[in-house]
Amino acid sequence: MPTAKPFSNEPLTDFTISKNRDEFSAALRRLDQQLIKGPLEAAPLVSGVVRSEGVKFERVDPSNAVTLVGRVTFSSSALADTAVQGLRYSLSSWESTPVATRAAALRKAAALMRERKHYLSAMLVREAGKSWREADGDVAEAIDFCDYYADEAERVLTVRQTMEVPGEDNVYFYQPRGVCAVIAPWNFPLAIACGMTVAALVCGNTVALKPAEQTSVIAYELVRILFEAGIPPTALAFLPGIGEEVGRTLVEHPLVDMVVFTGSKAVGLEIIRSCSEVRPGQANIKKVVAELGGKNAIIVDSDADLDEAIKGILASAFGFSGQKCSACSRVIAVGASYEPLMTRLQAAAADLIVGPASEPSTLIGPIIDQESQQRIIATIDRAEQEQRLLFRGSAPSEGYFAPPAIFRDVDIENSLWTEEVFGPVVACTQARDFSDALDLANRSKYALTGGVFSRSPQNLERARREFRVGNLYLNRGCTGALVCRQPFGGFRMSGVGSKAGGPDYLLQFLEPRTVTENMLRRGFAP
Amino acid sequence: MHGNLPHSEPISELGLRIFSRIGATRPSAFSLNSWATKLMTWSMKDPRFKVNLFRLVDVLPQLTSSGSVASHVREYLREDLGRIGSFGLGFLGALAQWGLDGAPHSLRAKLVASQVKLSVERMARLFIAGEHPQDALDALRSLRRQGLCFTVDLLGEFCVSEQEAEQYLGRYIEALDVIGAASRVWPERHSIIKGHPGEKSPLCVSVKLTALYSQCGVLNFKRSVDILSERLSMIVRKTRSFDAQVYVDAEDTGNNPIVYEVFEKVFGSSEFKDVPYPGIVIQAYAKGAKDVVTRLIAFAQKRGTPIAVRLVKGAYWDQETILSAQNGWESPLFTHKQSSDANFELLTRQLMDNATDVLPAIGSHNIRSLAHACTYAELIGLDRKRFEIQVLYGMAEPIAQAFRDEGHLVRMYVPLGDLLIGMGYLVRRLLENTSNESFLRHTFFDASQSARLLAEPQFHQEDLVELENPHRPTLSQKCA
Repeated sequence: MPTAKPFSNEPLTDFTISKNRDEFSAALRRLDQQLIKGPLEAAPLVSGVVRSEGVKFERVDPSNAVTLVGRVTFSSSALADTAVQGLRYSLSSWESTPVATRAAALRKAAALMRERKHYLSAMLVREAGKSWREADGDVAEAIDFCDYYADEAERVLTVRQTMEVPGEDNVYFYQPRGVCAVIAPWNFPLAIACGMTVAALVCGNTVALKPAEQTSVIAYELVRILFEAGIPPTALAFLPGIGEEVGRTLVEHPLVDMVVFTGSKAVGLEIIRSCSEVRPGQANIKKVVAELGGKNAIIVDSDADLDEAIKGILASAFGFSGQKCSACSRVIAVGASYEPLMTRLQAAAADLIVGPASEPSTLIGPIIDQESQQRIIATIDRAEQEQRLLFRGSAPSEGYFAPPAIFRDVDIENSLWTEEVFGPVVACTQARDFSDALDLANRSKYALTGGVFSRSPQNLERARREFRVGNLYLNRGCTGALVCRQPFGGFRMSGVGSKAGGPDYLLQFLEPRTVTENMLRRGFAP
Repeated sequence: MHGNLPHSEPISELGLRIFSRIGATRPSAFSLNSWATKLMTWSMKDPRFKVNLFRLVDVLPQLTSSGSVASHVREYLREDLGRIGSFGLGFLGALAQWGLDGAPHSLRAKLVASQVKLSVERMARLFIAGEHPQDALDALRSLRRQGLCFTVDLLGEFCVSEQEAEQYLGRYIEALDVIGAASRVWPERHSIIKGHPGEKSPLCVSVKLTALYSQCGVLNFKRSVDILSERLSMIVRKTRSFDAQVYVDAEDTGNNPIVYEVFEKVFGSSEFKDVPYPGIVIQAYAKGAKDVVTRLIAFAQKRGTPIAVRLVKGAYWDQETILSAQNGWESPLFTHKQSSDANFELLTRQLMDNATDVLPAIGSHNIRSLAHACTYAELIGLDRKRFEIQVLYGMAEPIAQAFRDEGHLVRMYVPLGDLLIGMGYLVRRLLENTSNESFLRHTFFDASQSARLLAEPQFHQEDLVELENPHRPTLSQKCA
């Protein structure tokens, strides 16, 4: 079924227009006034019923570690079990809902988010510590996922003839996999939670969504928007809670057919291992889609435009304090570009504005929570002992801030070079030539994003072929993939599964079926 | 009568007179009998070659070894030179082919490489008067000797840190000191047009504000305005000691609200309220330009001391149009060049109608635009002391001289700086010279079309519709 108009990305807010800045401010003020009265509540939703009994979790604004943003009721394992049984039961009715109806619900959800855009952004500012632009991008991406997967479902879920053969009818079509457990991360708490959930739903699966503990409130808002948009409460359960409890229950549940996960490599690999075990009462071999980490490198060629390279590196390394799987955490500069790059990068990093996420001028906001903050600071402290520090910034003492840090001449065997920090930390080294740079970049257990700044047509061409990552960016930073325009995802230890926001993504949520009918009866066929 | 278009006959008459004054003379960019000129000529014939050539020009200053110059020249131009060679490059083509066929580190490759680098440097020198202020003194003096005045711009395309911003500020202060001190004893310091407010001193500078603060941006609005006001004030204090004039250049639509805010803050302050004729720039390609002019006139009235307004078409059209399309935003600029031309004339009249509050500085290389301005001034009885014409250094000397000979004050915008910093500027100038819509290209390459070139520009229907039904707040609303 053709859709009315081709997909286009939700525009980011043009903050050069003062009206837009004012509206964003106003949304933030509105949320803050609400928070004065008390934190936002979130609780499990099973078959549309709010389950407010259970352990409470309090979420504070990471920018000040004081303001209570959310009070979340955590789901128990028993409730998760009940929810999965309900989702199994309601599968057939959701599956038999016409694709057009399911897709319409997604488009409606996109429209609702577009209407409440700045308010949702404000929630991201307060709950996740996202700067204005980062929050705005998160919401825009969530909208894109809804619109794009709605189009995709209508494209993919049509019954096709395989081949024209006389006297034989061959059709190929898809059915949903069943009950999907979606385990979402806190770093794109709206966009990724939304993308994984609506992809599963639009294909006819029922979904148990477990958000990250830190960002349950925005996820709760997402679920309510989906209900408002027409997703039946029986098709989607919301189960905030502890990963070790609720997450584990879902992953191990025999009635869960698919697990969709975005998060750390350790947890992802554990999910894959666990899902390979067949448990009593389990009908299907579980499918796992896991999008994990990255240790992404930007190569700066000897002929690179350093103005552009520095701009790209800073944005990719320090945007959302480096807490993106796509973030740049390694810089490889070729030959003579290394020293001038180090000098200018050091000076440039020193002037970046670190501060509370609610301030529009903030470029580097807080870390997601105290545990991560302390882990990042400890990593920087340790690295300072072992490696050569180029720059260590300062950060506000209130709130969960970590200083941005850059190290130079980093030993490529050192964990600073090999392990994902998931914070504002960059390791730099010099390469002899472009071949050496490609080799250094590729020598990683991850293969998610990468960047190259070069003005040599030949080297750019080589990078296309030889820089093996899921998303390669030439002459720009390596974060900020857009739905449909830059389908996103990596390989090696960066994940299994195909690219979010790309043409193959929905296929993972579907089982293909083939039906052949012999049309020949008594010697004649229609 | 005010505000109305003058009759087309006097405009054409003046335009044709300018064309005949120009005769066969060519601006230096089009007249050097060198590789550079040949390269530019070919790039007008061949768009793909043009892209490759300009990309090569952009990277060249960064390349330190002749081996890497040779390999870049080969990567960018080899195929094209092979192709172009076939339609008559003669000796040069053969030389290039011969050089590039060798290994990149061979002697002959290096020979060609150094020749190319030298040519590009020479090309850059056509538009950039020198690296340091000292280097430019002769050129500046010679302009005045020719009866042309100048405004000096220090190239600094982008700064990533406060360290770089402060260096840039330091360069302005130094340039003012060097040129200011030297010009005090120039015999050429006497006024070109007596009593013209732009001629109080030979010294005039144009400042690109965003290069003075590394964290400049609309989401950092207040701090950007505060810090830039402080830094601009340091420059203005210095200009004051030489009686020099200062222009604040306009930039991209994203930063312009900051630029205008800083201009008003500094020149509306008690310290600088009485500085005569501080300059600001209006870009006619912006849909909101008319409102900005209105706002600036109101500012000048409130201030009580007149300001200068340089009217230009605008230099960021490609960049802004592309970025708007990428972001799904409506472009803040006119889509069609003819609309910018039409708007330019509209704004010229608006400025000249308010010449008691503003000194119009008509910045263009378009003979029609300039002839329209001069004709309109005459029509409303605006004295030649009450406005001026501005052109870019190296781009349009014959046009500048022709208008000078008509008795107008003509100011050249003269950039200074090293090649690495200046490449962005050079590439913009090359694009301007070689674009299909370039007035200069037509003026100096197919001047037979003078009648067509002097025709009255009309807004394109699409732009007109957008102008009447703006979906987007205008620039002046954005400044609020």
